[in-house]
Amino acid sequence: MSLFRFLTIIFVSLIGHASAATFHVVIVTASGAESGTRGQSFAGIQTRVERPVRRGVELALFESTTSFEAYGVVPELKIIDLNDQQPIEEQLSQIPADAMVILDLPKPEFTQVATMLDTLERVTINVRHPDSDLRDQMCLPSLYHTIPSERMYFDALGQFLIYRGWRKVLVVHGPSERDKKRMEVLQKSLKKFGAEISDTRQFTISHHPDDRDKNKPEFLTGGASYDVVAVIDSERDFGRYIQYSTRRARPVVGDVGLTPVGWHRTLERYGAPQLNERYQQFDHTNLLPSSEAMSDAEFAAWSAIKLITNSLSLAENNAQSLSPRQILKHPDAQVDLYKGTRGSIRKWNHQLRQPILLATGEAVIAVAPMPKFLHPKHYVDTLGSDQPESPCQLN
Amino acid sequence: MQNQNDRNVQAVALVFVTLISLGISLNVSGFEAIITNERSGDLIHINDEGSTTHVAKLCSRPRGMTKGINNSQVLIACSDDDKVITYNRKTKAIETEINNVTGAMNLTFHKPSGQLLVTNEGASRASVYDFESGRLIAELPTGLEPDGVAITGNGNLIFVASENAGLIHVFDGSTYQPLDVIRTNLRPRRIALSNDELWVSSEMGSRVEIFDTKTRAKKGEVIFAPKGFRPEQMTPVDILFNPNRNEAYVALGSANHVALVDTKTLEITKYILVGRRAWGLGLSPDAQTLIVLNGLSDDFTMIDLNTRRPILTKRAGLIPHSIEVFE
Repeated sequence: MSLFRFLTIIFVSLIGHASAATFHVVIVTASGAESGTRGQSFAGIQTRVERPVRRGVELALFESTTSFEAYGVVPELKIIDLNDQQPIEEQLSQIPADAMVILDLPKPEFTQVATMLDTLERVTINVRHPDSDLRDQMCLPSLYHTIPSERMYFDALGQFLIYRGWRKVLVVHGPSERDKKRMEVLQKSLKKFGAEISDTRQFTISHHPDDRDKNKPEFLTGGASYDVVAVIDSERDFGRYIQYSTRRARPVVGDVGLTPVGWHRTLERYGAPQLNERYQQFDHTNLLPSSEAMSDAEFAAWSAIKLITNSLSLAENNAQSLSPRQILKHPDAQVDLYKGTRGSIRKWNHQLRQPILLATGEAVIAVAPMPKFLHPKHYVDTLGSDQPESPCQLN
Repeated sequence: MQNQNDRNVQAVALVFVTLISLGISLNVSGFEAIITNERSGDLIHINDEGSTTHVAKLCSRPRGMTKGINNSQVLIACSDDDKVITYNRKTKAIETEINNVTGAMNLTFHKPSGQLLVTNEGASRASVYDFESGRLIAELPTGLEPDGVAITGNGNLIFVASENAGLIHVFDGSTYQPLDVIRTNLRPRRIALSNDELWVSSEMGSRVEIFDTKTRAKKGEVIFAPKGFRPEQMTPVDILFNPNRNEAYVALGSANHVALVDTKTLEITKYILVGRRAWGLGLSPDAQTLIVLNGLSDDFTMIDLNTRRPILTKRAGLIPHSIEVFE
């Protein structure tokens, strides 16, 4: 049976609800297409958390049990692990029309599947990719993004730097195309809030003396005046060595040091400790230690499900199955994100608006939007692509 | 003779001045308030001038607090120690403890029946204890993250708010059987009862919803909008009634204001700026002073309800959570 794998989990069987509506949730993965390293750097050292989002989805469904009972909804979770030996269309044809499809896929597969499912008019959720192009250019009517956009992350960082008075920024970035693209987004964010880029430098992984201006943090950060160093290193490969090795004694932010994140294990306000504890303990067959928390992707998957289950009162009460699309399009759809402010969908580009945490490995230092960054309409819309500037206008 | 007379006049004047000053202090009617501090694990005594007069190290993560049997007692939920303690504010000592109260979060005490109701945050239930003996009487299953708990004056109905579930579970006060479930907006936190009305703060729904305690039907809601803040910054937590003035006070959390609501018309008559993340509320015994705990700026603000202006803001412990005020 090397076709696709099917897993069906029915969480609650409802007694007494004659007309229970089914909430179809499908996670699409492509385990064969994932890179073998998944968050590991040289010599197998784990530098990022990358794992399947399924646990976040299951947690959200578990949390929603009493809401499902109260509203007469039965959740059904399926997982489709794509097999590259089979036609993708055929594998996707199993997805029910009213399903919420969570795409846990690497970017090339993501783009392909999201486009196909858009043609089939299935609601899809991006839980992994903050990339601007998926929001600005791809801009699919049936695609929603619950992972923050790159702009949201960097806007949060930009606000924090201005709030601290660290206006002069030395930008250090890696050689990859992805690093360069992300650096452009960072530059936009810094400019937006009035920070000044004192210089932009590219690092090289090498030990050769000829490269020492690019491979030694001390040289790489020398000969410039700056308040802070912002590091773009998507692979968390070289950037790790920059902290405590800068020529000037300055803080390091970005992909290392103080980092903008969607979720964090040390958030201690807004009910977050309860959510973290539940994440560790709700699955009795697979308990996690208290050092573990949801990755941003898992949190994004959790948020997508919770957006629906927090908004069940908005569901039209006529069908055998629940329509996530109808809820997602409803202007009052909202979700309790355990970050102090409720989340909702930006109608122009289908991005989930949410606060961004600025955290080190040990603590959440701030929650953006930072004080005094005000938006005329929506508290958190100083983070990310705002309606007037967004190339994507789904509305 | 002349000298003696002068002295008499002085003495009379002194007595008079003393009487006046006594009279003034009686008019203001001094009070003492107790504040639990979640992060510093202690409580503070404050006087009517906002000065801290005593600090008592208590337990891990003291949160919910309510008055006990007499005018000296407070009952405190120690969340990380899984217990409820009785603290005597006069002797400044812990009198009794009820142990194994998993994730004790908030509590309420029904004096006529001697029942203590506690919400068990991580355990999705509320527990009913016989306060005198510390005996567990009943466990009431709720949704995830139960917080606010209330019992009607006659003891007939118990209400428990589940933050995560967005539900109020209703139980029979004598059989403890579940009677009903009320659907609320996002993250219901605190419940306050007034006559036949149940007021529920929806922290992430940015409103207070009002239900009929008997029919459980929704009767109305109050939506907040102080100047300079966006709707999603309204994160109301504590609700407090002041029957003398037909007013309710609602702490608006991240909006850093407390709202004064006319309980007859449900109109918001005033917003008063306080500290950051205003959540706990207390009222002086003469109902003239409102005290607001500011959970993010670690202080409290006293408000004169006659002038409707803040009088002072002073330092509390780390993350002040709950307050009780005594004569």
